[in-house]
Amino acid sequence: MDFKEREMLMASSLEEKINQSKKVIKEAIEKFGTEKLAVAWTGGKDSTTMTWLFRETCRDLSVPMPKIMFIDEGYVFEEIWDVVNRLKKEWDLNVIIAKNTDVSDKAKNVGDMIKVSSLNERNRSEIAKLGFEDAEFPFEPESYVGNHLMKTVAMNIFLEDYGVHALATAIRWDEQSARIEETYFSDRSNPPHTRVQPILHFKERDIWNFIFKYNVPFCVLYNEGYRSLGAKGSTVKMSDIPAWEQDLENTTERAGRGQGKEEIMGKLRDLGYM
Amino acid sequence: MFGFLKGKSGQNGRKEKVVVIGIDGVPCSLLRRFIEEGLMPNLAKLAAKGTLSDMTASIPEVSSTSWTTFMTGVNPGRHGIYGFMELQKDTYQWRFPNSSDIKSSTLWDIAGRHNKKSIVLNVPSTYPAKPLNGILTAGFVALDLKKATYPDSAYQYLAGMGYKMDVDTKKAQESLSALADDIEQTFIIRKNAILHFLDNHEWDLFIGVITETDRLHHYLWAALEDPQHPQHNFFIDFYRKLDVFIGEAYEKTGDDVPFIILSDHGSTAIKQEIYLNAWLRGKGYLKFMKDNPQSLEDIDGESTIFALDPSRFYIHMKGKYPRGRVAPSGYENLRQRLKEDLMSLTVDGEKVIKTVFFREELYSGDHYDEAPDVVALSHNGYDLKGSISKIQITGRSFLTGGHTRGDAVFYINRKIQATDINIVDVGPTVMSFLKIRDDYFDGVSLMKNL
Repeated sequence: MDFKEREMLMASSLEEKINQSKKVIKEAIEKFGTEKLAVAWTGGKDSTTMTWLFRETCRDLSVPMPKIMFIDEGYVFEEIWDVVNRLKKEWDLNVIIAKNTDVSDKAKNVGDMIKVSSLNERNRSEIAKLGFEDAEFPFEPESYVGNHLMKTVAMNIFLEDYGVHALATAIRWDEQSARIEETYFSDRSNPPHTRVQPILHFKERDIWNFIFKYNVPFCVLYNEGYRSLGAKGSTVKMSDIPAWEQDLENTTERAGRGQGKEEIMGKLRDLGYM
Repeated sequence: MFGFLKGKSGQNGRKEKVVVIGIDGVPCSLLRRFIEEGLMPNLAKLAAKGTLSDMTASIPEVSSTSWTTFMTGVNPGRHGIYGFMELQKDTYQWRFPNSSDIKSSTLWDIAGRHNKKSIVLNVPSTYPAKPLNGILTAGFVALDLKKATYPDSAYQYLAGMGYKMDVDTKKAQESLSALADDIEQTFIIRKNAILHFLDNHEWDLFIGVITETDRLHHYLWAALEDPQHPQHNFFIDFYRKLDVFIGEAYEKTGDDVPFIILSDHGSTAIKQEIYLNAWLRGKGYLKFMKDNPQSLEDIDGESTIFALDPSRFYIHMKGKYPRGRVAPSGYENLRQRLKEDLMSLTVDGEKVIKTVFFREELYSGDHYDEAPDVVALSHNGYDLKGSISKIQITGRSFLTGGHTRGDAVFYINRKIQATDINIVDVGPTVMSFLKIRDDYFDGVSLMKNL
C-alpha cells in the first residue's frame, strides 16, 4: 500500500472506516473460515472496537463468531477483568484464556524468582532461544524472559493448540511510527500464521468517536486518564483527565511534553532505559 | 578514488567543506580488529591515509548527551542535555528533553550564521526539526517524519523513498532474526538517503549518522563473540556493509574534503545490569510509598537520593523537590557517603564502579543547576540503570551489549597528532574546516597545531 492510499484511508469518515474494516474482516472470513480464525482481545478500547466490528460482520454474513483469545500474562488489571467478563456475557463471546501456567504457577508474587530448571521443556527451549543463560529469572512485568514466556509463548501455544491460521489484532497506523508499514494481511513465521489487522486506518480519535456513537462498553481505567492499557505495572497514566478528553491529535506534536510520552518511553525501554 | 579530479569542493564557490559520518555506539577497538581481519578494506585504506583514534565520550555516556556535546561543542552544563529523561521537579513526573531543550547553538546554527549550508541526517536528539539553512531530518527519538524533517521538500523526498526513522525494536519480541532483518532494511534505507543528499544537494557541512550499529550492539553483541550464535554471520556481514557504505560516502566526497567519522560511545558485552534505585533502596537512601512503585511520583519524603538513567544521582533537596527533606547543610556529607558506598559496591567479588564524579568536576555553565549531583562511571560490562520498579540489584535483560565511555571512534582523513581526544573537541574541529574559529566552544579544534 502506498503513502497516498494510506493517507486517504486515514482521512476518511468514521462510516467509511467502519466499512473498510468490515471489508477486511469479510475477506479474512472468506479466506480462512471462522474456524481457523481467532480474534485477539485485550479488553482495551482498540480490540474491543475490533471485536464489535467482527460481531457485526459475522451477523451480516450469517456465520458464527470466531473464537476470542485473551492473554493472561499474570498482571492483568482488575478493571480489565471486569470489562472482559461483562462483554463475554453480553456479547456471548467464546473467550479462551491463553495463559502460560507452567510459568505463572511457579511464582506467587511479582518479583519472585523462577528457576529455569523447574519449567517444562517447551519453556526451557524458548528461554534458550532468547540466549538467556542464567539459572533463574524474576517474574516481573518488565523482565524480558517473563514477558516473552507469558505473552508470546502463551499466544503461540494457543495458535498451535487451536490450529489457528489467522489471528486478528487491533493495531493502528497512528499508534507509533513503526506501525506505518503494516498491511491488512501480514504473514508471520514461527508459528506460521497470518495476521489480520482490520482497524489499521482508525485513529485514536476515531476509536473514541466510535465507542461513544455505538455505545460500546469500555474499561473504567480510561476515565482515570490511561490512554492505552498494557500489563499492570508497565502501564502508566498520562494524565488525570479521561482519555478521550486529552489532546489526542497533537500526540506527536508535543513530543516529550506529555502526549508523546508513552511512545518515547516505549522506544527508550526497548533500548534498556526507564 | 578520484576525489581530486571530481573537484566537488570547487562547485558553486563552496570552497570550505566538511563531511561527518556518525556511527552510533561503534567501539574503536572493534574497527581496529575488523581492519586487521580484512573485513573492512575501505576503512583500512582510510586509516592508512589519515588518523584513526579512540575517543572519550561524554558523561553520562548516552547518545542524547554525547551527540549533543558533539553538535554544540560545549559541555552539558551549557547545552543542558544530561540524558534521555529528566524529572519534573514540581511533580516528579517524567519529562523527555527534545531539540528545543538544547540551550546552545548547534554547528549548523553557527554555520548558517556564516551563510554556510548544512545537511544534517539522523543526528539523535534533534527532534522536532528546527528550521536551518539547509536540510535536517532528526534521529532518535523522532516520532513523526513530517515533524522530524525540514524543509517540506526533504520530507516529501524521504516519505516517497520509504525512509525509516529507526529500527523497529519491537521485532525483537518476535525473534532476533526478525530484528536483524529490520536492522538491515533500516540501514539500507538510511545509507541510500545519506548518499542521495551527499550527492544531489549543495552543502558546506554534511552530517549523516548511522544508528543501526547501536541497535545491533545492544541486541546482538552476544552474536559477535559466539560463532555458534545464529546471528553471528549477520553481525560480521553488517560491518562489511558498513565498510562498503563508508567507501561509497568517501568516494562521493573526495580526498580533498575533510572527512570525519565518529561514534558517540563504545560498546561492550554486558556482564550484569545494575539497578541503582534498587541498590539505593537497600542502602536506605531511597524509599517509596508503594511496594511496587512505577515512577518517582511514588517517592517517599524520607528519601535522600534517587537515580535516573543511566548513572545520574540526585540529592532529594528540601525546597528543590516537593517532598525533599535534605537540608543544604547535609548535602556534602551525603554526597561523600554515597561516593564511598558506590566505590565499595561489588558483584560476584568484582568492583562495579570505576569513578564517582561530583557535578562540579564535570559540568559548568548556565545550566549547571540542572546537573545531577553525582554521576558514576562503571567498569566495562556493568550496565548502570535507573529503573524504578526493579527489586533486585542485579539482573540481565534482553540486551547483551552496553555502552562504554572510552573506546569511541574518531577518524579524519588527515594526519594529525592528537591524544586524549574527547567528543567535545569534534565540533570545533569540524568548524575549523569551515574557517569558523571560536573560543565560544568548550572543546578545542584538533587541527589547531597544524
